[in-house]
Amino acid sequence: MESVIDVTGVEKMYRRKVHALRGVDLQVGAGEIFGLLGPNGAGKSTLVKVLLTVISPTKCTGTLLGSKIGDKSALAQVGYLPEHHNFPQYLTSRQVLRHFGAMAGVERKARNKRADELLEIVNMSEWATHKLGSYSKGMRQRVGIAQALMNDPKLVILDEPTDGVDPIGRRDIREILLRLKDEGRTVFLNSHLLSELEMVCDRVAIMVHGLMRQQGTIDELTADRSGFVITAASAMESDALDTAKNAVAGIECMLEDTQTKLRFNTANADQIQPAIDALRARGIVIKSLGFHRPSLEDLFIKAVNEHPDGAKPGAQKEKKGARS
Amino acid sequence: MILMQTKAIFIDAYRELNAKKLFWLTLGLNVLAVALFASLGINSEGFSFLHWTFDAQFMNTNFISKELFYKIQFTTWGVPIWLSWVTTILALISTAGIIPDMVSGGTIEPVLSKPIGRVRLFLTKYLTGLLFVGLQILVFSVGCMLVLGIRAGAWEFGLLLAVPIVLAFFSYLYSVCVFVGLVTRSTIAALLLTILFWVIIFIANTGDSVMLAQREGAILRVEDRQEAVEVQERFATKRIEQFREQGKPVPGEGDEPLPSGAVDTMSAVNPTLTKARDRLADAENSVPTWETWASRVFVLKTLLPKTQETIGLLERHLISNDELEKLNQMGGNNRAANENEPAMADPRVPERVAKIMRSRTIGWVLGTSFAFEIILLGLSTIIFVRRDF
Repeated sequence: MESVIDVTGVEKMYRRKVHALRGVDLQVGAGEIFGLLGPNGAGKSTLVKVLLTVISPTKCTGTLLGSKIGDKSALAQVGYLPEHHNFPQYLTSRQVLRHFGAMAGVERKARNKRADELLEIVNMSEWATHKLGSYSKGMRQRVGIAQALMNDPKLVILDEPTDGVDPIGRRDIREILLRLKDEGRTVFLNSHLLSELEMVCDRVAIMVHGLMRQQGTIDELTADRSGFVITAASAMESDALDTAKNAVAGIECMLEDTQTKLRFNTANADQIQPAIDALRARGIVIKSLGFHRPSLEDLFIKAVNEHPDGAKPGAQKEKKGARS
Repeated sequence: MILMQTKAIFIDAYRELNAKKLFWLTLGLNVLAVALFASLGINSEGFSFLHWTFDAQFMNTNFISKELFYKIQFTTWGVPIWLSWVTTILALISTAGIIPDMVSGGTIEPVLSKPIGRVRLFLTKYLTGLLFVGLQILVFSVGCMLVLGIRAGAWEFGLLLAVPIVLAFFSYLYSVCVFVGLVTRSTIAALLLTILFWVIIFIANTGDSVMLAQREGAILRVEDRQEAVEVQERFATKRIEQFREQGKPVPGEGDEPLPSGAVDTMSAVNPTLTKARDRLADAENSVPTWETWASRVFVLKTLLPKTQETIGLLERHLISNDELEKLNQMGGNNRAANENEPAMADPRVPERVAKIMRSRTIGWVLGTSFAFEIILLGLSTIIFVRRDF
């Protein structure tokens, strides 16, 4: 698959003190929705800003849309919605869209037409002539997304796009993202809302403490933690675990929760049948048998717990303006 | 694409200024100032304002033409007071926020993520600030030119020189405003520190005028006292000749001794000459001191933007040296200072200082000022280009 973003060893050191990025490798393929997760201060926004030339990297090799990182001409094909954006309050949403369209190099006729189309898509047509000062946060977010799409971009980078948006708005944004994907565009999402990402992302990466800890499809990332779970009617003794382990030799098995659940690290139902038989033979009443696949939240928490420094806000003394 | 982006930045700057209302307020005030300018008039009796007429000894058409009268008003209060103070302060208040607003968090990121170089973005934003004040000056200058044409029958397009000249003056201050605004990201800090810088320039200008006045006063005093010594010497020579004609012994000649206190024959026959020579020596001693200080202040001024001299360029263009001479004669400034007064109080000093100011080359006035602006603007551009947002 053609890479839209392909960078290796991205480093960013602020004032020789704060190491915000410690050698990040990232590949994003064309036409996919890619989600970047990470706790506050992980370096997510810094990475995006490096890609968009808002921040100059200490070290970076790679390309964005085939052009070297830092090449401004590539940005004509990129749409960007920053986190905590602050578009001029004295402009109407139509003026905001036309202004940023012109800045992106969109011809007058095309941008006037596209501005109205996008306002329609984000359900803001009725507010087209109202100034942003009178908008709610959710409405500004919708205008921000429309702004990011003004130049008909090949790559759309959205930093916390659902921030401050109500559930209906979030659903609308999800639909927009899927529509963008259908149109063949690449979408890069920075978000804390893991469930949102899980619903739309083809691939995700988890970033902690300035390093990319995991990267892949949700299936790939959850594969080694998926498996069958046997739930007993009451707490099991520790020797029940030994019984189960002996019955399914070679398969990882652990006792969870209040010792009522036994989790097997296999997606093959045949492999756990001996364990069921052995447990029943010991008189353990089995209440249910199910297949468990960890959520993105589970993966996220696991990654953060493995690198606890990154979970603390400001752990890297990340400077103001380098939010993640 | 460059043209499209530049146009978009200018339109955005206009909308921002429009939203602040100060643009229209300042424009309205400029129109009002032109109306006041048009309300002034001059006749053979004196000058008039609206329907009131004021008798004036020199300010009447017997001494100066209508054209010169309006030019004097334009260069006396129109530019130095109205455009250089009132409009400039309003313009600084209006435009001080342009750079801090642009670099504020959440605003700059979407702009920088567009295909526009930072140098071009920054300098275009800088130009939008200048455009604001340029439009205001244009309105005022065109208005005043029309008044001069209609009321005095003189179509002096030189008045439009006020646009580039006052714009240059404003640009010196605005480069400071932009630098502070970029470094501090604060509109208030940008405004206050620019005004502080303006005060420093004002102090340097005043220091320059005072030192020049002191120096010229001292030189004039030397010239006056030199003349007094020459008068006393002529008187002494006459007396020596009288002594010889009358066959009286001349002190210091032959065996005739000099009286105590006398250094030569002339001072012996004219004791006042000794006093005059002493006073001349005193005056000569003070000249090097003031020359040194005047040079030091001149060096300091060379490093700073020349606001006063830049504005003065307009007067240089509009009022010729002959006309200035005539105006000075009207003031009767040709008598020497009283010996008891400080040398700089000599009424001839302001005229000499004004001549020295006028003699400073345009290259020095504009060259050193623009050098200051370019250095500061270059520094600001480097900061903007290298900064992480």
